[in-house]
Amino acid sequence: MSEPASASSIYDLGYRHYDGPRTGRWGTIATLYTGSVRSAFGLGRRTSSKIIPFTLAVLAFVPALIQVGIGAITSGLDADVEIFEHEDYFGYVQIVLVLFCAAVAPELAGRDQRNRMLSLYFSRALARSDYALARFAALTSVMLVLTLGPQAVLFVGNGMAADDLSGYIADRWDLVLPILGGSALVSAMIASVGLVIASYIPRRAYATAVIVGAFVVTLTIATILMETLDTEYAQYALLVSPAVWDGVVFFLFRVEAPSGNVIADASFSGWIYLAAGLITVAVALGLTIHRFERIQV
Amino acid sequence: MSAAGGGPTITLDGVSRWFGNVVAVNEISFELSAGVTGLLGPNGAGKSTLLHMLSGFLEPSAGSVTVLGGSPWCNPALYRHVGLVPEREAVYGHLTGYEFVLLSARLQGLADPRGAARRAIEEVDLGAAATRTTGGYSKGMKQRIKVAAALVHDPTVLLLDEPFNGADPRQRLHMTELFQRLATEGRTILFSSHILEEVERLAERVLVIVAGRLAASGDFREIRRLMTDAPHTFVLRTSDDRRLAAALVAHESVVGVEVGNELLTVRTSQLGAFARAAPVIARDAAVSIHELRPTDESLEGVFSYLVNR
Amino acid sequence: MTGIILRLTLRQMLGRGRTILIGLLALLPVLVALVYRLGSQDTEQQEWAATVLLDGFVVTTLLPLAALVYGTAALGVEIEDGTAVYLLSKPILRRRIVLAKITASWMVTTATVLSSGLVAGAIALYDKPKAGILLGFGVGILLGGLVYSALFVMLSVVTSRALIAGLIYVFIWEGLVNGLFAGTRLLSVRHYTLGVADWFVDLPPSAFDAALDPATALVLMVVFGAAATWYADRRLQRFEIGETT
Repeated sequence: MSEPASASSIYDLGYRHYDGPRTGRWGTIATLYTGSVRSAFGLGRRTSSKIIPFTLAVLAFVPALIQVGIGAITSGLDADVEIFEHEDYFGYVQIVLVLFCAAVAPELAGRDQRNRMLSLYFSRALARSDYALARFAALTSVMLVLTLGPQAVLFVGNGMAADDLSGYIADRWDLVLPILGGSALVSAMIASVGLVIASYIPRRAYATAVIVGAFVVTLTIATILMETLDTEYAQYALLVSPAVWDGVVFFLFRVEAPSGNVIADASFSGWIYLAAGLITVAVALGLTIHRFERIQV
Repeated sequence: MSAAGGGPTITLDGVSRWFGNVVAVNEISFELSAGVTGLLGPNGAGKSTLLHMLSGFLEPSAGSVTVLGGSPWCNPALYRHVGLVPEREAVYGHLTGYEFVLLSARLQGLADPRGAARRAIEEVDLGAAATRTTGGYSKGMKQRIKVAAALVHDPTVLLLDEPFNGADPRQRLHMTELFQRLATEGRTILFSSHILEEVERLAERVLVIVAGRLAASGDFREIRRLMTDAPHTFVLRTSDDRRLAAALVAHESVVGVEVGNELLTVRTSQLGAFARAAPVIARDAAVSIHELRPTDESLEGVFSYLVNR
Repeated sequence: MTGIILRLTLRQMLGRGRTILIGLLALLPVLVALVYRLGSQDTEQQEWAATVLLDGFVVTTLLPLAALVYGTAALGVEIEDGTAVYLLSKPILRRRIVLAKITASWMVTTATVLSSGLVAGAIALYDKPKAGILLGFGVGILLGGLVYSALFVMLSVVTSRALIAGLIYVFIWEGLVNGLFAGTRLLSVRHYTLGVADWFVDLPPSAFDAALDPATALVLMVVFGAAATWYADRRLQRFEIGETT
């Protein structure tokens, strides 16, 4: 506060109270969301923390890039070389998606618990459930980069390799919605399970191991059971495993599961897989919110 | 046990360490022999970096570190004669205090690990708590058990990183006495701290590190005397403050006087000259000086001067 | 000296969370084998036991994951929380410390995976001729566990994110890359394990076939394991406590 009505002043450089506009709850959520997305890729931290997320993200794109490369080489030829189909893509990069989630989810849901930052977050204009939902939204968005991104590259790459781009798009227009829907659902499914595990297991190494185990082991067991047991009973194991992703994706693309696939012998209709997937997301998300509502800070 | 030939036990020669673009330690050279030396400096000055280099847990980027005649880097055999008390609080939580020190004794290859462990625990006065697991120790107790583990093999050199962190006054007193005793037995003890009272009380010599450079070394009172561009301040209680003040101001060694309610404060830039002149001036002015004492000859004064240069 | 470190590490490694996690994982093959015997009409038990159960689950998933969890815990936990200093500031050759850690990890990994695999295999092959399956996979797990342990202890010295790096190795390198590029199997502990097992397993190639022949697998195991151990020793000798953060 300066002295009025004189040529010289003393300026108060001390603490200033902020009286300006505040963004309120949604602003806080948006900030948390962007912050989470950035920290998932290690942006804003030193280089070594970017290695793993970026490596895995690049690996997720590799099949699409191979396809585009081949398409570029054979574009003049008559052959329509499509090694990687949209509906099969997630099957190829499945493990990369799981590893990425296992590496990133503990950073989002576990690190604040370890560093006792939660009290800071919860003393803002942010409901506890908002925190959980913002983290979930961020993780799903980040997974979308690895699911939708390669699919988009594949689509556009195929289109450019084909002789007629606009014709290609007109032909394959019906792929767009399944691509979007499939990517969104798979992302949500992975993100929700990874997040709930990470929120209950703050220690990073354990959470990573359990997340990987949750996906890999369920799939392996379901596969073994399908092969060895009567499929009528074994197929229920599929519903709690990543096989659900295949079920949902094939359903959305309206194709039959290829014969080698684990769900080929199961008798569930696509709607069951869809329901199983959505229920998984809902339950996992609910548990995550419950965890943060209940946690003592 | 002193170093062979009575030479210095620890020698640093132009030692520097940088991390990328950040220079943490900048061409530091000094020599230490038996006795207690305090490593003093603000946070981030490079104390821990220096201690890590001395203890073989960091390679100097330049210069040479010599402890007991050898370089501590990639030289585990040296640990037979060096004890290290690290800063981080964590200890093997599932072991009892006794087991922890015993482990240290065994890993040192001692002939009688159990006896050595018991003695070390007695030295740090943790006999009562030695049977409890260290996971349940208070911070000060963890410090002391770490010291016990570092002493168990009777080392010639003892390096401690912030040993008084978390210790309550009684424990600090106890440890101060312990270190003084160890030093008189011929050991070289180097400890880092930013708790000035402890360093003042314990250290015969200080090394002041500011922003990676060695700002001063030696006895801190002598350092004070070397700080000639900072006026010394004295406080006097006299029979007539104002009259003495008027007489003192006339003398060339006096930079300033301040007449307070009960005390007279005098600032002088020439310590020796003032010390000789003051009684003469007082006698000539017929004023009795009841008390004359220096007020900033504390480590704190020295320290803030060196830090703010 | 090594014995002391070994005992200390064993005590630390068998912490509650870790034991439960790997214990549950180790139960699965046994359960699956039980379900198989009770439920399935399959007549090719030997093929199933070798290819699906022991190769497909125990060696491919259980063994590396167990070795990973224990191998990264052996030294990784101490490095992370700062207690490694107490071990490293002693007049002990770093290679002794590395060897002790690897041995501890190997002991626990092998104990878990071997018992799981052998019990599950025995159940699956209950009244059938064993055809060297149990022996072969037993030896394979024993040796493979050692090489995995060396690899993962080395990783935990080199990086603080050893667990995820190990997971990438197991699932992407040994999973995807080895599957796509046959040549890379020369650098895969899993294929060394299967190669060694193949020496004892007396089944036709249609039932069980390893990509590497036993002699190659054994030699490469020794080379790989020795290299990992040597590198871990070298890095631990030059272990630095740097800037915190």
